[in-house]
Amino acid sequence: MTTADQKGLRAVLREKFPRDHGQLLPALHFVQHEYRYLPDWAMEVVGWHLGIPASEVYGAATSYTELLTVQPGRHVVQVCTGISCSINGGGNLLESLQSSLGVGLGETTTDGRITLGETACAFMCGVAPAVRLDHDWQGRATVESVNRLLRDIDES
Amino acid sequence: MTPNDPTEALDRLRVRANSRADSNASKTRVVLQLDHSSSAVGGGEVLSALMDALPDSAYLVVAGSDGASFQAPKVVVTPPGRATKSFQNVTTLDVSEIVRQVSKGFDEHGDVEPFLGNQHRIALDSAGAVSATDIDEYVLRGGYSGLARALSISPEAVIEEVKESGLRGRGGAYFPAALKWEGARKVEKSPKYLVVNSEEGEPGIFKDRLLMEAVPYRILEGMTIAAYATGVEQAFIYINAEAELSAQRMQNALDQARGAGLLGEGILGTTYSLNVEIRRGAGGYVCGEETTLLNTMEGYRREPRPRPPFPTESGLWAMPTVINNPETLCSVSFILANGADEFKKIGSEAATGTKIVSLSGSVRRAGVVEVPMGTTLRQIVFDIGGGTQDSRDLIGLAVGGPSSGVFPPSMLDTPIAPGQLHEAGVMLGAGGVIALDDRTTIPAVVRSLAAYNADESCGKCTPCREGTPRMVDALDRLIGGKGSSDDIDELLELAEVVGAASLCGLGQAAGGPITSAIHFFKQEMFSLAE
Repeated sequence: MTTADQKGLRAVLREKFPRDHGQLLPALHFVQHEYRYLPDWAMEVVGWHLGIPASEVYGAATSYTELLTVQPGRHVVQVCTGISCSINGGGNLLESLQSSLGVGLGETTTDGRITLGETACAFMCGVAPAVRLDHDWQGRATVESVNRLLRDIDES
Repeated sequence: MTPNDPTEALDRLRVRANSRADSNASKTRVVLQLDHSSSAVGGGEVLSALMDALPDSAYLVVAGSDGASFQAPKVVVTPPGRATKSFQNVTTLDVSEIVRQVSKGFDEHGDVEPFLGNQHRIALDSAGAVSATDIDEYVLRGGYSGLARALSISPEAVIEEVKESGLRGRGGAYFPAALKWEGARKVEKSPKYLVVNSEEGEPGIFKDRLLMEAVPYRILEGMTIAAYATGVEQAFIYINAEAELSAQRMQNALDQARGAGLLGEGILGTTYSLNVEIRRGAGGYVCGEETTLLNTMEGYRREPRPRPPFPTESGLWAMPTVINNPETLCSVSFILANGADEFKKIGSEAATGTKIVSLSGSVRRAGVVEVPMGTTLRQIVFDIGGGTQDSRDLIGLAVGGPSSGVFPPSMLDTPIAPGQLHEAGVMLGAGGVIALDDRTTIPAVVRSLAAYNADESCGKCTPCREGTPRMVDALDRLIGGKGSSDDIDELLELAEVVGAASLCGLGQAAGGPITSAIHFFKQEMFSLAE
């Protein structure tokens, strides 16, 4: 079974999620895991399967900060801008990334490789400042360690 | 003894756990503290290196953190019958030295560090020392004796015991835990539900993740006691979407508890059954607000519901629902195991028990600490935290998160207490303390908290939706040198209106950072208006 098209995704959803309003978030999490964001067509399929209007699916999806309705770059770098991280050098990290990547917050490099984002808290304030590349967080980050992280991105 | 005596059933589990542990008795115990924080500073690499390098004379235990984030990753080595030695800020390069010490043995006396020595731990007891993935270790340390005792008395008696203890909810609202259970129990509707609220989305607070990753079984024990007392047979553990390791550890703990007869059908040989499911959030501070959490679980937008009805009357799918914080549930396990009197000995008469505080910012020893209620902020920041980094000037404290406010150093002797710490808008909340030094300014911190509230406002209540961004605008005018005293007036008015006209805690407390800053930092705030 494939999730590459509407029909395939619907079949997978049918197998994994009971037709129940409470399954909306679990289903959206699944879709985001598959595609790294929520494509419009996939949100529509989730609505078909759960019997929820597409407008309501979209409304719910856009109300949660961790669900993405816009396709991010191939890699996402996030800098924590919480108070503890800021005090411990998070601001410098953000500035350095903005200038080295040549993008502003929320923007993607022109080659579509890296999206630069921020988060209000990484919930590891004891090892501040924190930066994330895709799924992996790095604590006690420095400009050098983050540059190394970006240099070592595996594009395979 | 009857065959379905829960205490006897637990004894049998202990015997079984003991016989399994015996095979390691002659080996050196090597504990790696691996949680989401230490994973971010190389903990995973240390784990691989230890697995490759440890000799057969040692066995490896993966624990959560003991709260000392500043020492992460940490490895604690205990040769049989010898003193314990801990290795801090371990990298893969240190592993060969650890292995050498393991083989050689050592005779140092473990010293009680100021970080741990100044704490009183009940929820965090054995965190970082006990396996986070092996239920036997929790059982052998006296775990589940609270549940065994609860199941041998009536649900009403459990409620009485917790009522007697004076335990209040540790999520930030400090509602008496037993009253919540009693409220739901009395409603004549079924099924009833229990939700463990592990959303933990408040910036600066990271203690629920630590509990889930270090002592998941204690949360499950408390949850089972709460469910039994309330008459619940279906519980949910609601975990922040980003807290992947927490969810894994909780799922593993659930599976093991089920396997050991500590969850599921006929718990500890009694007729009581409890089914548990893990649900994941999807981000946003407001999701931790309990009625918003219910909307999220039902598949709706993250917006709060009007109260009343309170969730204890009409919560999940309109059924009576108890929502408890993991820290509260850890205290419940302690109370049932040791009795309400032991709990009341901690803290003060008005505020019993301990509080877990997430301590960060400019402190030498950052991490998660547990102290008796009534401990002063000074003790937390200086005795435990070691004071500011590089002895910089402390300019203030951000206490309690974005719904609370800022204190100047002159308020350091304020004791922590459930709820409000000062009428200018400072609350203990879920227990975050961020020490601020001269690398930042109070207006910048207030702006950061206000911007967060504006971003997180869900938009349901117009005063909050429109008012929180206007607070940020006024602060920006002031900080940018284009403000006037009108902006200070506007900030105070907005804080009042948004606070009065919002459904949930986010809006109600959104003015806290502003009102507290204007109250305590007149000079800093008003000088911006000149």
